[in-house]
Amino acid sequence: MINSPKQFCFILIILCCIGWVACTQVRNPCETPMTATLNISTQHLISPTDSAFVDTALPSAVFIPLTTAANKTATIYPQQVSFTISLSPDSNICRWAFTPDTPGYAFDTLTFYYQKNLQFISNACGFTYFYNIDSVHFTKNLFIDSIHILNASVTNNVNTTQLQICIHPDNF
Amino acid sequence: MSIQLSCKYVYILIIFSTLAVSGPSVYAQATDTTAIDSTEHKVKKKDLAGHQLCIGFDVLRPVLNDVTHGGIGYGFEADYYMHNEFYLAAEGGWGNSNVNYDNLKYSTNNNFLSFGFNKSILTRNGPKDWDMMFIGMRLGAANVARSPASYIVIDSVWGNSAGSSQGQAFLAVWAELTGGMRVELIKGLMAGWNFRGRFLLNAKSFENLAPLYIAGYGRGDKGVAFDFNVYVSYGIRWKRRSLGLADAKAIAPVAK
Repeated sequence: MINSPKQFCFILIILCCIGWVACTQVRNPCETPMTATLNISTQHLISPTDSAFVDTALPSAVFIPLTTAANKTATIYPQQVSFTISLSPDSNICRWAFTPDTPGYAFDTLTFYYQKNLQFISNACGFTYFYNIDSVHFTKNLFIDSIHILNASVTNNVNTTQLQICIHPDNF
Repeated sequence: MSIQLSCKYVYILIIFSTLAVSGPSVYAQATDTTAIDSTEHKVKKKDLAGHQLCIGFDVLRPVLNDVTHGGIGYGFEADYYMHNEFYLAAEGGWGNSNVNYDNLKYSTNNNFLSFGFNKSILTRNGPKDWDMMFIGMRLGAANVARSPASYIVIDSVWGNSAGSSQGQAFLAVWAELTGGMRVELIKGLMAGWNFRGRFLLNAKSFENLAPLYIAGYGRGDKGVAFDFNVYVSYGIRWKRRSLGLADAKAIAPVAK
């Protein structure tokens, strides 16, 4: 039968645990990136005759999504080597206009061909799309010398660089 | 949950169960050996407690159903006293959840059932003392049905896109370690609490869309879940037949 030390222990632990269970959060905040990012680094050849690439910090690169429906706002970056863009979840093709420096206002066009995969992240974050790049086409009459796909898989991992844009050595 | 993590939990369970089950017997063996050495007579300790079937209802869960907003659940438990402070235990119940976020909407419902044992670690004051502190293990399963899920993929550049995922039915299986306390308030009527740690054994089944809440388990998107229950239960008791015979022999008049 019940006695006082047991009763005390019983009630104390019940109160503590009810408090703990009642305070447990049901919906956690979303702490992972919800958008798959295509991370780009820029490089250039040391000279036209040399095959070695070096990192190139573009002075004021501009990326503009070429779409009719969405937000067509340009993203202007300060001087840096790596850039982040995204692919359209509505299609298997999307285009970005790109220029390495704002004063020129001359743009190259990058066209991405890819497969998209629906991905469940978590209940807190919901769904997103991951992509697998098939190919990248680009206009090379202005700044771009070549483009290399380093990793075709575009996920929400911000530390993976998928694309390397090599700039004409004449321009830098 | 990775295979390595699953193996780790299974390993912990095996170690835990080995300790829980073999501990008393090892101790008993050591004691018996001493007894054999000294007297060469093995005296089996008689379990003086009778039978008890205890059936209870989780009274905390309906309160939490109103306070929290994750899901609704109800649970029952039953245990039967075997011998040497071992109890066979079973739990069952049902529940549902409704996820209604801006970017994700679906609902689930499920039933659950778990089986296992409890081992009381309190020394009994007498045959009629049914108070207990215990540890135990369970193996549980729930059949979960999820409705079609509608979602919105949020994209600030290209615009949001909506879609839906088909409904799904699946089985959740978990192992559980539990510990708690139960005291007799008045004759037969008991109250107690359980603290539980649960380890989902088939977490890979939930990678497409893990249900937010599985009644009997907890958060379906976590490989490990902790829970707390408060039970009010009633114990039905009857004497052991062997004890009754022994008692009858003891009091029977010696025939001359």
